[in-house]
Amino acid sequence: MDHSEASRLMASEKYLLDELPPAEMEAFEEHLFACHECAMDVRAGSAFLEYSKAELANSSPRVERRAAEVRPSRGFAWWRPALAIPAMAILLIVVGYQNLVTYPAMKGALAENKAPRILPAASLVSAVTRGSAPSVIAVRAGEPFLLPLDIPSQNSFESYVVELQNPAGGVEWSLPVSSESIKNTLTIAAPGVDKAGHYEVVVIGRSAQGQNSEVGRYPFDLQFARTANP
Amino acid sequence: MQFHAFDRHYLEKLTSGDFRTQEDFVAYFSELIRLKLSRRLHSHSEVEDARQETFARVFAALRKPDGIREPERLGAFVNSVCNNVLLEYYRSASQQPTSDDEEAEANIPDPAISVIDVIANRQTQEKVRQILDQLPEKDRRLIKAVFLEERDKDEVCRELGVDREYLRVLLHRAKKSFKSIYLKRVAKEAMQG
Repeated sequence: MDHSEASRLMASEKYLLDELPPAEMEAFEEHLFACHECAMDVRAGSAFLEYSKAELANSSPRVERRAAEVRPSRGFAWWRPALAIPAMAILLIVVGYQNLVTYPAMKGALAENKAPRILPAASLVSAVTRGSAPSVIAVRAGEPFLLPLDIPSQNSFESYVVELQNPAGGVEWSLPVSSESIKNTLTIAAPGVDKAGHYEVVVIGRSAQGQNSEVGRYPFDLQFARTANP
Repeated sequence: MQFHAFDRHYLEKLTSGDFRTQEDFVAYFSELIRLKLSRRLHSHSEVEDARQETFARVFAALRKPDGIREPERLGAFVNSVCNNVLLEYYRSASQQPTSDDEEAEANIPDPAISVIDVIANRQTQEKVRQILDQLPEKDRRLIKAVFLEERDKDEVCRELGVDREYLRVLLHRAKKSFKSIYLKRVAKEAMQG
């Protein structure tokens, strides 16, 4: 690999992102050790990432910081009647809405969470084992459900990630799982979803080198029940 | 931009055991070797052992009368030595260094000193902060998820609605903004020795 090819391929970036296939990585490294420009490029990129990690690990969310930076110091401007009267009126409406609607609903939800209840579950294990049609789970829209899952243990993986793919193919949520946890059946309490349809639980194994491989895929159909579950 | 002229004079100082030249040589290749090894070995200690072993062999070879005499081949030589060290690691994880190697290791300048110097440099840290602050929130989240949290790149890109090319270009631009101050810093360190 020569310098123009390395530049054209964005080899420095791909190398830092660990994206180069083995043969290209070898070829780029041969060039990298002999090319001052690429060496400084990779060293600069690596240093930037190290500094960025330190910076991002210590920084608070930027929205809060910016809000603090632009906060106006206009003293008692809010006390002017032209602003104060409409502001008070809006405040009263908000307080009234909270007392009459929001808080009672929250109390209901809290009481529901504290009470024991039966959650619907999808039989993911048997669905995969049989290789038959996906299992069906009936829930109310937004109602949580359980996903019992047996992940086949493989020594080559240091940890796992469990993802729920929605009918559109997007990731609804993902959950990191340690290799220790999969020795027994995992029971995942999945948050409720808004759309019925074909979902898939995807298990991805992560090696010590950070390589990811799909371990298993567990499809199920989610249907919205008309009546409440007990 | 070129700071390291690996010319005949440099090679002579290196082979004669000039400490400052050796220090410069180690600082130049350390990060490259570390990156190469960390893509192939499992643990930090394995990477560090193999890095030390590579330098020990390079310096041992340089001291030999029939050792490397072409300065333009220095980089390729370091890479090939590193490849040999890796091959031996693959064959045997329990390799014990010889007494000659131990002696050579003791003389290798420690690049950690310069790394600490760089980290202590507030100007560099401030520049990184500025670059990160100028990025849109989505780009910051992308960098944080991929490099700090080490999450799966495809998964993160999918979540943020971007592709892998976007991530490459983001890194390229950030690196470009950072490179000028980094090169100044490296040049300053090389001059200070």
